[in-house]
Amino acid sequence: MSERTVTIVPEDGLHARPASVFVETVNEFEATVEIAVDGEDPVAANSMLAVTSLGAGHGDTVRLIAEGDDAEAALDALEDVLTTPESEFDDE
Amino acid sequence: MTHTLDGIGVTPLSGVGNVVWYDGEVELGDPPAPDTVDADAERDRFEQALGRAREEIEAEREHTAEAVGEEEAAVFDAHLQFLDDPQITGAVEDALDSGLPADHAVDEGFADAIEQLEAAGGRMAERADDLRDIRDRLLRILADADRVDLSALPEGTVLLAERLTPSDTAQLNPDRVAGFATVVGGRTAHAAIFARSIGIPAVVGVGEALLDVAADTEVVVDGEAGTVVVDPDEETRERAAESRDVSVRHDRVETADGRDIEVAANVGTPAELSAAADNGADGIGLFRTEFLFLDRRSPPDEAEQLETYVEALEAFPDGRVVVRTLDIGGDKPIPYIDAEEPENPFLGVRGIRRSLGLDEELFRTQLRALLRANAEAEGDLSVMFPMVATVEEAEAALDVVEEVASELDEAGEAFERPELGVMIETPSAVFVGDELAARLDFFSIGTNDLTQYVMAASRQNEAVDHLHDPRHPAVLRAIHRAVEAAHDNDAWIGMCGEMAGDPALTELLVGLGLDELSMSAVTIPDVKANVAETRTDAASALADDALAASTKSEVVATITHNT
Repeated sequence: MSERTVTIVPEDGLHARPASVFVETVNEFEATVEIAVDGEDPVAANSMLAVTSLGAGHGDTVRLIAEGDDAEAALDALEDVLTTPESEFDDE
Repeated sequence: MTHTLDGIGVTPLSGVGNVVWYDGEVELGDPPAPDTVDADAERDRFEQALGRAREEIEAEREHTAEAVGEEEAAVFDAHLQFLDDPQITGAVEDALDSGLPADHAVDEGFADAIEQLEAAGGRMAERADDLRDIRDRLLRILADADRVDLSALPEGTVLLAERLTPSDTAQLNPDRVAGFATVVGGRTAHAAIFARSIGIPAVVGVGEALLDVAADTEVVVDGEAGTVVVDPDEETRERAAESRDVSVRHDRVETADGRDIEVAANVGTPAELSAAADNGADGIGLFRTEFLFLDRRSPPDEAEQLETYVEALEAFPDGRVVVRTLDIGGDKPIPYIDAEEPENPFLGVRGIRRSLGLDEELFRTQLRALLRANAEAEGDLSVMFPMVATVEEAEAALDVVEEVASELDEAGEAFERPELGVMIETPSAVFVGDELAARLDFFSIGTNDLTQYVMAASRQNEAVDHLHDPRHPAVLRAIHRAVEAAHDNDAWIGMCGEMAGDPALTELLVGLGLDELSMSAVTIPDVKANVAETRTDAASALADDALAASTKSEVVATITHNT
C-alpha cells in the first residue's frame, strides 16, 4: 500500500473540472485508490460523487492511498492533477 | 396588471416575449409489483440507457465546445464521470435487485446521491443539478420519450422553469429565445454561466412567485436589473425590445463623426475564434496563449505553436491579431516549469518577469513560432508582453525578439517581425508610459489587473470588491495618462480588460481616446452599435467630466446622467 499527502492547487479546489479529471485519471490505473481529507475516513477515489462531496478546496491537504501493482504510478499521476492549476485565465 | 418580480440578473441584457413553461422532469407512475418485473431484462435496459446517455452527452459536449466554449463544455466531462460513478450505479443495481423496473431504480439510485450533495451545501449542492440532469436524461431514454426541443422554440419565447440544467441551457438558441427566468439558481450556476456566454437575457432565483406567471403571458426579462416584469407597460416593453435589437455588424465601425474604432475579441482558445468572427469582431485584441501550456506534462514545441498561431491569423485575414506571450504567475505553476509559492503571487514573478528569467527558453520558442507564423499566414500579427513594469524589461524583451529574428535568418527560416507592444497593467508602466511608447508600436490596457494594482485591491477578495472597480477616478486618470503617452509617441492604444466590453462605458472610452476595444465576443454587437452612435466631441466632454470627478460615485453619476 502506498500513501501520499498532497496540497490542492486548482483555485476551484477538487470540484467541477479538476474533480472530473481526477476521477478520470484514477480510472486509468489498475490500483484501487482512496482519498481522504484531514481527519476523515477515506472514500473511493473512482467515485465522482464521493470526490465532489469531500468539498476539498484550494490549499487543502488530502491523503491519497493506493493499493495495486501500479500504485506508485497512479499516485504520481494524481499528484500531477492536484497540483496543476486550471486552464482558466481571466487575468487581464 | 403589470407587476415586477425580483431575482438575480445574470446577463446585462433585456428581452421581451411570451412565456413558455418548461419542465424537463419525466413523471413516474407507481412501480409495478416486484413479481411482475423481469429483473434481467430491466438490468439490460439500464445498461443500454447508460450507453445511449453516454453517446448523447459526448455529442452535447462537442456541440457546446463549438457553440459556446471549451470551458463551458467541461461540465459534460463531469457528467460522464457521474454516469460511471460506482456508488450511483451500485445504488441503481441494488434497486434493480430489489425488483424495481429500470426507471424507478434510476430514480431511487440517484435520490440518495442528490441528497448527499445537497446536504453538503454550497457549491457541492450546485452539482446536485448535474445529477438531476443525468437522472432525467436516463428516465427520458428509458421512457423512450422525445426530448422537448429547446432549440426549436417559437421566436420571442421567454422560457420559465423551476431550474434549467446544463444540457437544457446548452440547447437554447439566442436568436429565438428572448430570455429565461428560473425559480431557483444563483449567479454561478451553469445556467447563468451559459446565459452569459451565449448572450441570453436571464434572471435566476426569482422564487416561488414565478410559478404564478401563466403560459403565454407577456413578460420582460431584465438581466441587468434582475427583474421579471409581468404584463409590462408599453415603455418597458419597448425598452427591452430595443436592447435586444442589436444586429451583428461585420464591417468596421466609426463614430457618428467618423473616427475609426477597432472592436476586437478576447479569446482563450482557438475554438473561440469562430464565435469572435460570428459576432463581428474586426480582429483579435487579446489572444491568450496559456491554453497551449497548461494541462500537459511537457511544453508545446515550436511546430505545434506555429500551427496554432497560423490558425488564429487566418481566422482574420483582413484584421489584426494581438497575441500575448505566456502570462503565468507564481500562483499558477505548471508541472514542467519551476514552481514557487510566494506569499503574494500577484506581486511576484509573473508575466514578462518569468519570460526574461526562469522561462526564457519557453519565451524564445514562443517568439520563434510567432515570427514564423507572421510570415506564413495572411493577417497582421501584433505581439504584446504582459506585466511590464520597467523600460528595461521592454528593452530586454525587444532584444530577445531581435536575437530570435537573427537566429531564424541564419537558419534560413521565413519570418516577419510583428508589431510589438506591452500590456498596461502596472502603475509603473503608466508612469513611464512615454518612454515605453517611444520604443513600441502599441499599448493594450488590462483594466482588471491595472485596477487591482492601482487600487491595491485583490481581485480575489470579496471584501474589497467595492475598490475593484475601474470607474474609480484614480483608474480613469491612469488610463488617460497611458493614452496620452501612446498618442504623443505615435503608438496606438487599445483596452482588453472587462471594462472594454461594458456597453455602458463605450462613450467614455471613446472620449478617453482609446483606438481599439477588445472584449468577450458576445458584447461586440452592443459595443459596435454604441460606437456608431457616439460623437467624439460629446464623448471628450464626458471623459473630461469623469476625469475631473473626485469620487467613484461622481463618475457613475456623470456616466448615468449622460445616458
